[in-house]
Amino acid sequence: MTKRLADALFGSVYYLFLASFIGFSAIPVVVAIVLSFDARSFIGPFPPTAFSLQWYEKFLADDYYYQGLATSLLVSAIATVASTVLGALAALGLDRAGFRGRKVLQAILLSPLVVPNVVLGFGILMFASRLGIIDGMPRLIMGHVLITFPYVMRTTAASLVGIRSSYYEAALSLGARPWKALLQITLPLARTGIVAGAIFAFVTSFDDVGISLFLSDAFTFTLPVAILAQMRANLDLTIAALSVIFILATILIIVLLDRLAGLDAAVGRGVYGR
Amino acid sequence: MKRPGLTASMLWPALIVILPLLFGPLLVLLHESLKPHIAGRVGGDATSALTLENYALLAGPEYAQYFLDTFRIGLISTVLALMLGYPMAHFIVRRASPIMRRILIASLIGTLFLSLIVRIYAISMTFGSLGPLAGFSRLLGIAPTSPSVAELMVVLGLLNTTMPLVALTLIGTIQNINPRLEDAALSLGAPHWKTFVQITLAMSVPGILSAGIIGYAFCISNLVVPMLVGRGFVLFVSNLIYFRFSEVANFPSGAALSIVMMVISLGIFYGLLHLVRTQWQEAGK
Amino acid sequence: MAVLDLQHIRKSFGSFTAVDDVTFEVNKGEIVALLGPSGCGKTTTLRMIAGFERPDSGRIFIGGADMELRPPYERNVGLVFQDYALFPHMTVAENIAFGMKNRGTPKNEIAPRTLEVLQQVQLPGVENRRPHALSGGQQQRVALARALVTRPDIMLLDEPLSNLDAKLRLQLRREIRTILASFECTSIIVTHDQEEAMGLADRIVLMNRGRIEQIDTPARLYQSPKTLFAADFIGHANWIHGTLSKAAGDAGIVATPVGDVRVTMRQGSPEQGPVTLCIRPERLAITDGTVEPATRMQAIAESVDIVGADVRLWSRLKDGTLVQSLDKNIGRAMPQPGSEVMLGFGPDDCVVLPASDAA
Repeated sequence: MTKRLADALFGSVYYLFLASFIGFSAIPVVVAIVLSFDARSFIGPFPPTAFSLQWYEKFLADDYYYQGLATSLLVSAIATVASTVLGALAALGLDRAGFRGRKVLQAILLSPLVVPNVVLGFGILMFASRLGIIDGMPRLIMGHVLITFPYVMRTTAASLVGIRSSYYEAALSLGARPWKALLQITLPLARTGIVAGAIFAFVTSFDDVGISLFLSDAFTFTLPVAILAQMRANLDLTIAALSVIFILATILIIVLLDRLAGLDAAVGRGVYGR
Repeated sequence: MKRPGLTASMLWPALIVILPLLFGPLLVLLHESLKPHIAGRVGGDATSALTLENYALLAGPEYAQYFLDTFRIGLISTVLALMLGYPMAHFIVRRASPIMRRILIASLIGTLFLSLIVRIYAISMTFGSLGPLAGFSRLLGIAPTSPSVAELMVVLGLLNTTMPLVALTLIGTIQNINPRLEDAALSLGAPHWKTFVQITLAMSVPGILSAGIIGYAFCISNLVVPMLVGRGFVLFVSNLIYFRFSEVANFPSGAALSIVMMVISLGIFYGLLHLVRTQWQEAGK
Repeated sequence: MAVLDLQHIRKSFGSFTAVDDVTFEVNKGEIVALLGPSGCGKTTTLRMIAGFERPDSGRIFIGGADMELRPPYERNVGLVFQDYALFPHMTVAENIAFGMKNRGTPKNEIAPRTLEVLQQVQLPGVENRRPHALSGGQQQRVALARALVTRPDIMLLDEPLSNLDAKLRLQLRREIRTILASFECTSIIVTHDQEEAMGLADRIVLMNRGRIEQIDTPARLYQSPKTLFAADFIGHANWIHGTLSKAAGDAGIVATPVGDVRVTMRQGSPEQGPVTLCIRPERLAITDGTVEPATRMQAIAESVDIVGADVRLWSRLKDGTLVQSLDKNIGRAMPQPGSEVMLGFGPDDCVVLPASDAA
C-alpha cells in the first residue's frame, strides 16, 4: 500500500514538472500573441480590454525594421551557403581522415559553438579593423560564417556515422572513382544531415545578437539588433506584433525542417548533445 | 582505399576560411589585452611595452562579483533546467504517443528557433509588473520591488532556452537505455518511483552531466538575457565585455575579460565533458 | 589458366598479423571458398583482392596483370558485400546501371542488360523498386546481379548467405551456384560456414590464424584432412591419441589406451611417433556381430540423440573418452543408456594426424 502511495506521489511530481516545463515555455508566447492585438495605446494590465491591429500597422510602417530585415536576410543567406559548403566538405574530409590530429582538429573547428559569442564578436571587430575592414557587411558575414559553420559540420558528421562504409566501397568496386563515389553515393546519403545543418545555420545566423551587436554599424544592422535598439528606446507593443510574425516564421521553418530532414536529425547526437 | 589527396582537398577550404576567422580574432584579442589602457582612448597604447595590468585589475573584488553572479545564476538555471527537462525527455521517449512525440519535439526545436529577443520580450511581458503572472515572484516569497526580481527574471529567461536544449540532449540519453531493464526492475518488485530513480535516472547520470555542461556553457556566455531583464541589477561577464566596447571604450580591459571568459568556457566545456566521458566510459557510450 | 594468382601475401594491422604468407590460384570458371573461423584472415584476403587493402608484401595477379598499384575502381572485380550495400537512394535498376555507367558500357545497352540480368537472377519486374522494399533473399540476388552485369573477371562474395534465415539459405545456395555457373564466372566465396563452402565451392581454401591450412576439394577436405584443425573444423570427429609404429606394407599400428588400432598409411601422413586418430562419427559403427571390423572398442552407452534423419549415440570408452557414432534413423533399436556396446571401424575409416596440442 505504501508502494502505491509513493508511486502516486511520484506521478504527481513528474506531471507537475512536465506542466511547469510547458507552462514556462508556452504561456509567454500566448501572452505575446494576445498583447499584439491590444487596442490600448500604452502597456496596461493583462488582459487587454479591446483588440485592434494598430501595432501591426505601426510595425509595418516602420522602415527601420525593413532595413534590418534586408540586412539579416542577406547576411544569413550568404553565411548559410558558405557554411554549408565548408561544413559539409570538412565533415566528409574528417570522416575519411586517418591522421592523428583528427580529433583535435574537429574540436577546434567546433569550438565557435563553445566560445562565448561576445568574445568572438569583439575579437572579429578588432581583427577586421586591423585588416582594414571597417564596413558592417563584410564584418557581419565573417562573424556569421564562423558561428554557423560548426552546426553544418556537426549534423553532417552525425549523419555520416550512420552510413556504412560498404556503400562507398561498393561504388569503388563498381568502377566509380573516389570523388564520384562521394558525390553520387555518400553525399546523397548524408543529405538529411546537411539540410538540417543548413537550416540550423540559417536560424542561428538570423537570431544572433551577441556577434551582430559588435559588427553592425549605423547603416548596416541586422533585425535583432534593430529590435534590441527599439526595445531599449521605448518598450511598446510593436515588438509583440513582430513576435507573432517571428512565431509564424518559426513554425514555417520547423515544418520545412521536418519535411526536408526529419525532426530527429536535431535530437540526441544531431545538433545538440556532444 | 583512402586517398589522402582527396581527403585533404575536402578539408582545405574549411581550414583556410575558418582557422583564420577563429584564431585571427583570438590573437588580436590576446595582443590587445596586453596593451596598457590610456583613459579617453578607445584602443590600447601601441607604443608602450606590453603589460599584464589589465588582467591584474580583473582580480579586484568589484569584478569578482560579476564572475560570481554569472556562475551562480548560470548554475541555478542549469539545475532547474535539468530538473524540468529530464521528465520532459523521459515523457517523450517512454510515454508519449508517436504523434505527441512529434509535436513535443517540434515544439522544443521551435522554442530554440524562435528569436531569443522575442522570447525574452514575451517573458518580461508575462512575468513583469503588469503581466498575468506578475504574482509568480510573490509565490516564491520575493517582494516585487526587490532586486531579486531581476535575478528571477534572468533565471526564467535562461531557463527558457536551457530547458529545451537540455531536453533534446537527454532524449538521446534515455533512448539508449534498454526499456527491458525498467520492466525487469518492476517485475522484481520495485515500485515505479524506485525504478525511475534507481534504474532510469541512475543510468542517465553521464547524459545528465553532459547535458548540464552544455546548458551551463550556454548560460554563462549569455548577453541578451541580463541585458533585457537584468534591470542593471544582474550583469554577466558578457555584459561587462559589451560595456567595455560600447560605453566605456576600454578595449584592452574588454579584451582581457574576453580572454578570461573564453578560457573559462573552453575549460568548463572540454575539461568537464572529457572528465564525464572518461569517468563513465561504459554508460556514456 | 589461372584467373587469380596470389603469391606470398602478407598483411598485418599493427602487431596483429591478419594474413601470413597466403599463396593460391583460382582457375577460370572455378568457384573457390575461403573458409575459416572469424579472424582467420579470409575477409582481409578478399579485401586485398578487391583492392581495399594493400598487402604488406606479396603479389596479386588478376588475368595475368599485377594489381599492385591498382585502386579498386580499376580492377574488374565484382563484389557482393555481406550487407549487400545496395544504394538505398537508388532504384534496383539504378543500382544495376551504376557499374555499367562507370565501366563505360554504351548507353543504349544499359537498359536491356539491366532487364536481362534481372531475368537471369529470376527477379523480373523489380527494377523500379527501392532496395528496402525487397526481401533479404531478393536483395541478395540484386546484389549478385549488380556485380555480375559488368562481366567481371572474378566475383568476390563476402559471407553471401549470413544475413538470411536457415531455410532460405539452403535454397539460395543452390541458386547462387546455378547463377554463377550460368555466367561461367570465376568466383571466390568467403564464409565461416563449412556447409556453405562445401555446397558452393569446387575447391576450398581452409584458413586459420592468417595461414592456409589446406587447399582441397570439399570431399577430400572432409575425408582426408591434413591437420587436426582441418579435421576439427570440418564436420564432427572422434579423437583417439596414440603412438604409431609401422607394420607390413602400407599398414600401421597405433597403440592407444583402448587397444591397438590398425590403420592404413597414406601419403603425407606421419610414419611413426605420437599421433591423433580422427574417426568420423558415421564411420564408427555399433557392431552387431555379423561383420568383424578391424578394430573393436568396448564402451558404455550414455545417451541417444535423434537428429532428424540420423541417430547419434554418445558412449564412453574405457579410458573415459566420450565418442559419438552416427547411424541412419531407420527404426533400429538403440542401446539403452548404461548398457555395454561394441564399437568398431576399419583401417580406412580413420585418418592419422600428427599429434598436436592444438585440437
